Amino acid sequence: MDAIDYHALLPEIILAVTVLATLLVDLFTSRKSFAAITAMIGMFASFVAILTLAFCDNLTFCTSTGDRVLFGGSFVVDGYAIVLQGLFIFAGFIVVLMSVGYLETDRYYEGEFYFLIVSAVLGAAVMASSRDFISMIVALEIVSGSGFLLAGWRKGDARSNEASLKFFIIGVLALALLLFGVSLIYGLTGTQVFSEIAAASSSVEDIALFNLGAIFVLLGFGFKVSAVPFHFWTPDVYEGSPPPVTAWLSVGSKGAGFVGLLSVCYLALPSVTEIWGPVLWLVAALSMTIGNIVAIKQTNVIRLLGYSSIAQAGFMLAPFGAAAATGADLSQTFSATVTYLVIYAVMNLGAFAVVIIVGTRVGSYELERWSGLNTWAPGLALSLAAFFMSLAGIPPLAGWFAKFVMFSATIGVGSWWGYSIAIVAALNAVIALVYYLKVLKSAFFDTVPADLDVATLEAGTVPGPTSFAIGLTAAAVLVLGIFPGLAANLGDFSSDFLATLGL
Amino acid sequence: MLNQYYGDYLTVALFIAVGAILVGGAVGASKLLAPKNPGGFKDVAYESGIEPVGGGWNQSHIRYYIFALMFLIFDVEAVFIFPWAITLDAFQAAGRGVFILVEMFLFILILLSGLLYAIRKGVLKWE
Repeated sequence: MDAIDYHALLPEIILAVTVLATLLVDLFTSRKSFAAITAMIGMFASFVAILTLAFCDNLTFCTSTGDRVLFGGSFVVDGYAIVLQGLFIFAGFIVVLMSVGYLETDRYYEGEFYFLIVSAVLGAAVMASSRDFISMIVALEIVSGSGFLLAGWRKGDARSNEASLKFFIIGVLALALLLFGVSLIYGLTGTQVFSEIAAASSSVEDIALFNLGAIFVLLGFGFKVSAVPFHFWTPDVYEGSPPPVTAWLSVGSKGAGFVGLLSVCYLALPSVTEIWGPVLWLVAALSMTIGNIVAIKQTNVIRLLGYSSIAQAGFMLAPFGAAAATGADLSQTFSATVTYLVIYAVMNLGAFAVVIIVGTRVGSYELERWSGLNTWAPGLALSLAAFFMSLAGIPPLAGWFAKFVMFSATIGVGSWWGYSIAIVAALNAVIALVYYLKVLKSAFFDTVPADLDVATLEAGTVPGPTSFAIGLTAAAVLVLGIFPGLAANLGDFSSDFLATLGL
Repeated sequence: MLNQYYGDYLTVALFIAVGAILVGGAVGASKLLAPKNPGGFKDVAYESGIEPVGGGWNQSHIRYYIFALMFLIFDVEAVFIFPWAITLDAFQAAGRGVFILVEMFLFILILLSGLLYAIRKGVLKWE
């Protein structure tokens, strides 16, 4: 048995200790904010640990080089894992920042809230490193289990209860489908480690049951990433959950689903691309189109962001769906998808931070109540504009680069699978502009509803942690938009490991 | 390979068929052979010979549910400790005994923090 590389496990170990520490700090202190501070310190420390792993070559105390493979190939720390773990911890940190102000607006349990957020971050981080089905499903369940509870955090609100129950039932259904697929794959290949499945699959790829297993695994993840036609739970759950939780679900939970989908497709099932490629192509096209068209009609900003996140999932799936359907080289589209995921996460978190502030101030997330936001909170209106324009993909904000990478990778596939989905995506980019700008039109050009008292609204303050979250994400959106090379480096960094696998 | 895969299911089907015949045969035979003498007193809930008091739908206190959850802490602990204890020798022989011992203590520590949480939240106070 090999010695365990504790440095490679350090981010997860720090997170696990933070999970327990957050709970215990809340039990033995009276100040509620201590739990949040513990959670943030822990996540920051874990982020530093990830940085030491990422820049291992330049550090003197760091002796190991290259990818670190632990536990017989079940747990791998490579560029891809490092980028996504960093992303999940960043997302968790921002969510805690925006929760601090939000939880004070009503009587919520606080210590347990941060405990569950850090647990979910831990699950997502393990997800990024797991390279076998068992650790992946355990990680996925840590993310989902925390999500079910967090969705119902507004105990007195029937909608929140509905969100929690709906999320739970759909989550369990997705897990059942996923496990069924995994059991078929395991039964036919005799292993549940991705690399061994890929090696063994040449002898079983002609068996219908193996393809069926692959399809079931895709269906399971389809629910997790809320891609059409598995999306119907998303708007209800997003609307019912407390908004900071929605921010986490649309970035962390969905991101973890994407990581699982990417890892399984690329590492375990590369021999049957002709099966899952067209399925992903279709799911991507449907997600973009249906997500965007339904979003136009939404009057509630949170629901609108929910449908927008469905559509964005379609954009993320488009390049590698097209490449897999063609049977082309996957690494280019893989890096495009990771780049898109990173940028989407940052701008969506920022959008939610602003939406939460405005929503609590106005007391409603209905768009008509938001009219004239510019007159009483020009700063908030401006940051809202920045994040929504970024989501729409307007330069010089980060969103344009995500779209650019996505289009160039999709067209770069060089087949009709690629061209056709690029056309669908281009049409959808225009449709998306309609509803993102509808929010901005309401905020900048409409008059304030008569029954809202402008003086009170102007007097409201933005909680310090939330303004820090907005500042951080806004800076990231600007920097990634103006110096897109940074995001591209992250994407390439993560696809380097594919080259070592010869994909 | 696949034939064998389906062949395994044939065994399962056979078991189901034999099971159905056995149970159906036993129940059917007793239905045919047993004497029938229905009476009102026979439908009363069986309480070890004592006459039952109240209906069958009693409410239990919600605390029993919480205690059932608390029981899980120790139950899960036991489920994992037994296989751990059996493989401990093998790990000891491989020179990883201390590592495995520490691992189990970490596991118990994490589970016990759940118990600590319950105590601090006042779950164990019965008023």
